[in-house]
Amino acid sequence: MEKKIGAYLCSGCGIGEALDFKALEGVVTKEFKKPVKSHECLCGEAGLAVIKADMEAGEVTLPVIGACSPRVMTDRFMFPGMTPIRANLREQVIWSHPAGDEDTQMLGEDVLRMFMTQATKVNTPVPYTEGEFSTTILVVGGGFAGLTAAREAVKAGHDVLLVEKKATLGGHAASWSAIVPSKPPYHDPESNPLPKLIEEVKASSAIRLVTGATVTKTSGMPGKFQVELSHGSTHTVGAIVLATGFRPYDATKLSHLGYGASPDVVTNVEMEAKLSAGKVHTHAGAAPKSVAFIQCAGSRDPNHLPYCSSVCCSVSLKQAIQLTKADPDVMVYVIYEEMRTPGVTEEFYRAAQEAGVIFMKGRASKVEGRHGITVTVADALLQQDVPLGPLDMVVLATGMVPNSTDPDAPAQEYGAELLNADINPYPTEGDYKPAASVPPGGSLLNLQYRQGPHLPMLADGFSDSHYICFPYETRRTGIYACGPVRRPMDMGEAHEDAMGAVLKAIQVIRNAAEGMAVHPRAGDLSYPKINLNACTKCRRCTVECPFGAIDEDEKDYPVVNPTRCRRCGTCMGACPVRTISFDNYTVEMLSSMVKAVNIPDEFDEKPRILIIACENDAYPALDMAGIAGHQYSSFVRILPVRCLGSMSALLISDALSVGYDGVVLMGCKPGDDYQCHFVKGSAMAKERLSKISDTLKSMQLEVERVTMVDASIADSARLPKVIDELVAKINAVGPNPFKGF
Amino acid sequence: MSRTLTYYPGCSSQASAVHLDKSLRAILPPLGVQLRDIDDWNCCGASVGHIEAGHLANSALSARNLANAKAAGPEDVVTPCAACYLNTHYVNESIRGSEQLKGDLNEALGVVGKSYDGSLHVRHICELLVTDVGLDAIKAQVKKPLTGLKVAGYVGCQTVRPFANTERANKFDSYDDPTFLDDFTQACGAEALPFKMRTHCCGGSVSVMSPDKGLHLIKELLEEAQKLGADVISTPCPLCQTNVEMYQPEINKRFGTSFNIPVVFYSQLMAVAFGLDPVKDAGLDQNIIKSDKLLGM
Amino acid sequence: MNALSPTPSRAYDLNFARYVYENIDGGERLRMCMQCGACSGSCPIGQQMDHGPRKLFMMIRAGMKEAVLTSNTIWNCVSCYNCVVRCPRKVPITYILHDLANLAVREGFDAAKKADNARFAKAFMWSARKYGRTDERLVTGIYYFSFGLVEGMKRGMGNQKIALNMIKTKRMHLGMPHAIKAKDELQKILAKAQEIQDRHGKGA
Repeated sequence: MEKKIGAYLCSGCGIGEALDFKALEGVVTKEFKKPVKSHECLCGEAGLAVIKADMEAGEVTLPVIGACSPRVMTDRFMFPGMTPIRANLREQVIWSHPAGDEDTQMLGEDVLRMFMTQATKVNTPVPYTEGEFSTTILVVGGGFAGLTAAREAVKAGHDVLLVEKKATLGGHAASWSAIVPSKPPYHDPESNPLPKLIEEVKASSAIRLVTGATVTKTSGMPGKFQVELSHGSTHTVGAIVLATGFRPYDATKLSHLGYGASPDVVTNVEMEAKLSAGKVHTHAGAAPKSVAFIQCAGSRDPNHLPYCSSVCCSVSLKQAIQLTKADPDVMVYVIYEEMRTPGVTEEFYRAAQEAGVIFMKGRASKVEGRHGITVTVADALLQQDVPLGPLDMVVLATGMVPNSTDPDAPAQEYGAELLNADINPYPTEGDYKPAASVPPGGSLLNLQYRQGPHLPMLADGFSDSHYICFPYETRRTGIYACGPVRRPMDMGEAHEDAMGAVLKAIQVIRNAAEGMAVHPRAGDLSYPKINLNACTKCRRCTVECPFGAIDEDEKDYPVVNPTRCRRCGTCMGACPVRTISFDNYTVEMLSSMVKAVNIPDEFDEKPRILIIACENDAYPALDMAGIAGHQYSSFVRILPVRCLGSMSALLISDALSVGYDGVVLMGCKPGDDYQCHFVKGSAMAKERLSKISDTLKSMQLEVERVTMVDASIADSARLPKVIDELVAKINAVGPNPFKGF
Repeated sequence: MSRTLTYYPGCSSQASAVHLDKSLRAILPPLGVQLRDIDDWNCCGASVGHIEAGHLANSALSARNLANAKAAGPEDVVTPCAACYLNTHYVNESIRGSEQLKGDLNEALGVVGKSYDGSLHVRHICELLVTDVGLDAIKAQVKKPLTGLKVAGYVGCQTVRPFANTERANKFDSYDDPTFLDDFTQACGAEALPFKMRTHCCGGSVSVMSPDKGLHLIKELLEEAQKLGADVISTPCPLCQTNVEMYQPEINKRFGTSFNIPVVFYSQLMAVAFGLDPVKDAGLDQNIIKSDKLLGM
Repeated sequence: MNALSPTPSRAYDLNFARYVYENIDGGERLRMCMQCGACSGSCPIGQQMDHGPRKLFMMIRAGMKEAVLTSNTIWNCVSCYNCVVRCPRKVPITYILHDLANLAVREGFDAAKKADNARFAKAFMWSARKYGRTDERLVTGIYYFSFGLVEGMKRGMGNQKIALNMIKTKRMHLGMPHAIKAKDELQKILAKAQEIQDRHGKGA
């Protein structure tokens, strides 16, 4: 079907009073030779009827709507089978620049030019829907989280393949005597839910259970993963839920807390085994009369686990309550620095206080003695060193190490290298060394991906990509982590986590089958297409893709796995020969939009600065600046991009060669506490920018003309000031000598 | 409508707070409240009885009063004194909440043939005025509004703490920012100053026994009242009234200040506003520091 | 000395803490103390206390019996009940301090004999027991002279002007102490209460 573009300009919300509409209409009719209609309220029924009438008559197939921001009124401007182009004349023109002003008018006309140009360059995306898509969910790990995930997936109508390495189900939790309460009044330890859960899972006909097996190979992509198991079977699954749990921190490293020196210094896991066995005895066989729990044993300690495992406090509360309930005369002490009782576990802390457990705030500085152990406590409340003892038993509350690797499999050197690169793929400042926390071991899924067999981890070795913004999501699309492999958590949280990961798995299965992207560009039908005739096999796309979506074939050509792709365009920005493109998003399109702007003569003293703004945070922050009425220079032209990672360095040279005086990249914060919605897109942009100075020098241009600004969604008040400062700075450098060429 | 309530005046009614007792007996009948004293009432133990006598023996003091009150009738027991209220209310509520304490105290009362079942309700007179009498009834009695009189309402501690905001005290006011006293002031037609030290402690009996420890607390109160330009400080508490009033010369000596601020009971203000006799009914002659402004009203 | 409560032999021996939980008025709530310090921070004369309630309560848990019962914290309480209404764990702090002071008196600690509050309480209860009512003249008089004849005279002289003011305003009378009629009855009740108290350590 032939593309027919028509422009619709809205004069509502003050746009009509602030801008010269005759001139705007002239841009469309004279420069682009396209029809244009103006309306005083385009988003109202009458306004929409104008557009719909033209579309139904076949006169327009792609409307360009010059009105408010594309972030608002999306439901109003939604037409069957297509997404209109939106030129933002309200938030980023009339609300952030003076009305009736010559420069505001020039800005409005340029915005229209940019988006009319976009309209001429976009094509309707053709989604990837080739072949069969599986709806089966593979759950790796048969502990509490994995079993819950399996059960919940079945409840939601999916078949499950559950793979457990051990011969029996239940993981760590199966042997626990009782669990931290998960229901009101959160007062007493609850009975272990594992036996019932295991029975439920075993009884389910929709769950195919494979115990005593591991995943030896995973290839393919969401909707069509090919999985090989250690006993030889192969399976096709749609998505993978990773629930491989945790291992307790190695207590033999805690000799400074007496572990190993006395058989009566035990870990919380060992205490749990004693409680499960029914009676707690010292090594000598006596019932203990005084027991001290040492919290944060090997946790929140730069020499051991740098993080808080969040459950050890609750577990000690539980064990302390169990000990005092079994024998009210036993003296139980909990030595803590901060009692961390997330959520309503605070109630459980009260229950332990009621039971008479004594809480000592301070740090255990010394643990001495084989029998009749003495713990020296630097007591923060009494402000003195207190020798606590003689104690019959000491319990070390050790933390959780994520099973994001298989501790029983040999660590692969290739994998480990890549692991480090994945954990910290960006240039970081300071001496932050996250590699120390990577748990040793082999890969869990043995991914047959160009970027290696491992799931990338966060700094502390957990399999997640952002605790707050993208929980469950690993950086391998279609593989979702839940339970303590994702972050330290108790069973109540693991229960919710399993459901969350299953919902993510279901989403990817459904979207993949329709060729749609998942978070954060959920629903996007486009995907990268590579013209191999132009490809130089440089491998930048296969290395830089934040999600490992692009593999290499035997001839080293890139192979896109469309359902692994999140559509950020980092590959497109990486490609030095502009041969990667999306149906509706190309370097050529962006470049044409940049060039569509009228660049005044240098004697007009109207500089032009291009802002390449990430549409996830920077662009909405600029919208909000407009909403709040913050004003900024009318000399800037804003080009939204899917992610700064999709910004080709060529775009900058294109801009400078047509006479822009400067370029500002505005994107999410990179680094180890990144805010980039595509994990490392803005980091890649930063890296590309660091290499652009050579290009600038070869063009005889000053490096000050190109800057990168970290922007967050909360920066609406700050960005206008930043823009004005940068405009002044670039102005001071002087006009671009390429102007007019 | 008139009702009779059981009245516990407390030891200070015969000594340092005679003028509180006197003025209350003058203002309550017009407000429809008749008082019937507890027969042969004894000391409540105040803040220190517990320390010497111990919890049970100290509670036994109140238990005898309650037994005598109950013997006279089931009417509510009201008291104007912060310490009497605190002790009697606490013992009464403790008896209601603990069979053990109830048993022990009745064992003690039993030696003289008395008993108490915990069925009474012990209330502060201010709470009674707020809850049962009401501000409108108080306003209705005002015949000589105290126009222009600037009053710093000093509530003190035990009138509101620890019971004012409990169900059994009808939640009549808050612990930290009570307003009832300002309401009384305004009902009398006077100006209630924004006295932010309203619930700061005067040191209580500690100021009596060890002035070195408590006088700075009183000084801070006086400073604030002076800063606000208070004509008088009004209070419901016998010990607050005495402490804040009698120590002013001593504070002036120690801190080089020149305080001379009259400290009166809210009931004295009401008596004057009700048009009653400033001496015979309000007992204004019994304040050490006289308020000429109030006397002239 | 008259040891009623156990003396811990080592740090954080819980036997003293458990005695306090079971025998001190309000003591059972003490185990809920989470050491937030709202009490010490709310105390009008906290700066004049050696420890303040928060630390004192930790010392109870730590088994520091003697340090607790000789602490000036239990004697300096002004009974303002600020801490009681502010405690997020509903620990009745004032009541506990009063009962700890009583324990110190009963155990015969020297500090308990010397403390102003203990001397005053003694004088106060003497009057309450003897007459059924407190006579402010007698209570302060006995209190002053508990420091010795010379100190007593000095304190009495120092307060002469106050006393004179009180007499002038008829707030201090000159005759016999006010007394209840049934003095004997009250004394019998108190004696019995004391006996029950001694029998099981506390009343509630």
